[in-house]
Amino acid sequence: MTDPVHAAPDDSTLVRIRGLTTVLGGKTIFDALDMDIARGKITSIMGPSGTGKTTLLKHITGQMRADAGTIVVDGKNVAALSRDQLYKLREGIGYLFQNSALLTDFDVFENVAFPLRQHTKLPEVLIRNLVLMKLQAVGLRGAARLLPNELSGGMMRRVALARAIVFDPKLILYDEPFVGLDPVALNQVLKLILTLNQTLGITSVVVSHELAAVQRIADRVMLLSNGKVVAQGDPKSIADDGSPWTRQFFGGEADGPIPFRYPAGDYATELGLAGVGK
Amino acid sequence: MSARLRKRNNAVLQSLAQIGACALFLLTLLAAIPRSFRYFRETSRQLWFVGAMSLTIIMVCGLFVGMVLMLQLYHVLSIFGGTSASGMVVALSVYRELGPVVTALLFAGRAGTAITAEIGLMRATDQISAMEMMAVDPIAYVATPRFLAGLIAMPLLCCVFCAMAIFGGHLVGVTWLGIDNGTFWANMTAVVDVRTDIVNGVLLKSLAFGAVVSLIAVFQGFTTPATSEGVAYATTRTVVASSIAILALDFVLTAFLM
Repeated sequence: MTDPVHAAPDDSTLVRIRGLTTVLGGKTIFDALDMDIARGKITSIMGPSGTGKTTLLKHITGQMRADAGTIVVDGKNVAALSRDQLYKLREGIGYLFQNSALLTDFDVFENVAFPLRQHTKLPEVLIRNLVLMKLQAVGLRGAARLLPNELSGGMMRRVALARAIVFDPKLILYDEPFVGLDPVALNQVLKLILTLNQTLGITSVVVSHELAAVQRIADRVMLLSNGKVVAQGDPKSIADDGSPWTRQFFGGEADGPIPFRYPAGDYATELGLAGVGK
Repeated sequence: MSARLRKRNNAVLQSLAQIGACALFLLTLLAAIPRSFRYFRETSRQLWFVGAMSLTIIMVCGLFVGMVLMLQLYHVLSIFGGTSASGMVVALSVYRELGPVVTALLFAGRAGTAITAEIGLMRATDQISAMEMMAVDPIAYVATPRFLAGLIAMPLLCCVFCAMAIFGGHLVGVTWLGIDNGTFWANMTAVVDVRTDIVNGVLLKSLAFGAVVSLIAVFQGFTTPATSEGVAYATTRTVVASSIAILALDFVLTAFLM
């Protein structure tokens, strides 16, 4: 294993995670997790709810600090960056929030223009053109003057996507981009993710648990469970790798290696029935 | 018994920890002031929201406080035949105590709660995280502008409140109850001192109250659990904590400044 901190910045791995360990509220979220995210590809991180998929994205962007381990994004060790350096790094990362997280004070246009206004001194006409180009790309140029509360969930997600790409980032992190979308909106978002990756070469990380959607776009799938990557590989073949874990997850069986019950004490004791009938 | 004692101790410790966290938050806010200068537009937008939008309630309340104060004083002072002094007493009590304190209490209810609820909901809907991800410091962009706006707005609102209270006193005393207009103004100008009453009373006190109320409001917004229940509790706590802080601080300031 090469030294992760001093890895060459121009190699084929954009995000390199080594030995990531996180304990939250006494529960181990990540247990010495290793993961490589390839540059220019669409990588999907899958796993049941509560496995820390969103937490992993927060680690990658430095919003949360891990208890141990290193995360190197584009040659920079995230944990060692100062606030200004971290902000500099984040300017090159787009992040699509699960609930879109549009600024409710501003209309669609101003939401997309927000990062430009904060970080550049571009003339107004240029900002206007850039924003309209991004809105055109997501098909919402006509909605520029609507407020976020006038949009549907699918439209909000597309506006959030336009905002995430307004700086032409190297990396986009999608947090559950397909949740709560109707089939049409789902296909629109899928197509956008694919187009962005293919035309601009943006590295994409898609956190999701919807296999059908992921299979259509991802180059590589990683399955997270119990704080580790339990399986990874090609999205078409990963469901058939034969392990009980993948069989349960993709088959949707209610109980198995992924337990149905949250850990608890003895049922009979808790009901006060211990010893009854003996 | 010991369990109850421990519970009470925990509550005391938690309150102390809360005060400590609030003080640390103040340092973060102050440290972010240079960075928030580039968000001047945001500060002025907030100033409009907490200042200009509070004008109606401040003016109406100021008017009625002045009117009722004059009415009460007139009846009491008429027993001693000292009604000519009532304008002066209205002015002194408004400048030294009622103006800053009532303005601050109204401000906490009108603007403080709005600030807490707004920031709490921004956190609940990930807007604060989104700013972090867009490399915009939420302390410099959200917290400090609201804090500075409160700091600037409070003395100005307090001046408006005092002016309206004097006007209300004049309305009741001179126009209605028949105190001589010249006596009303002459007694007032003879006794009110610019340094002790206006600078120390109106401006300094309201500046301190402005800082405390906006600090509490912003702090509660940023630290509340990001749920609808958390936001509801935080809004209540803003009013309760602000009211206690205003009245306690008023006593301390009065003791030192008078």
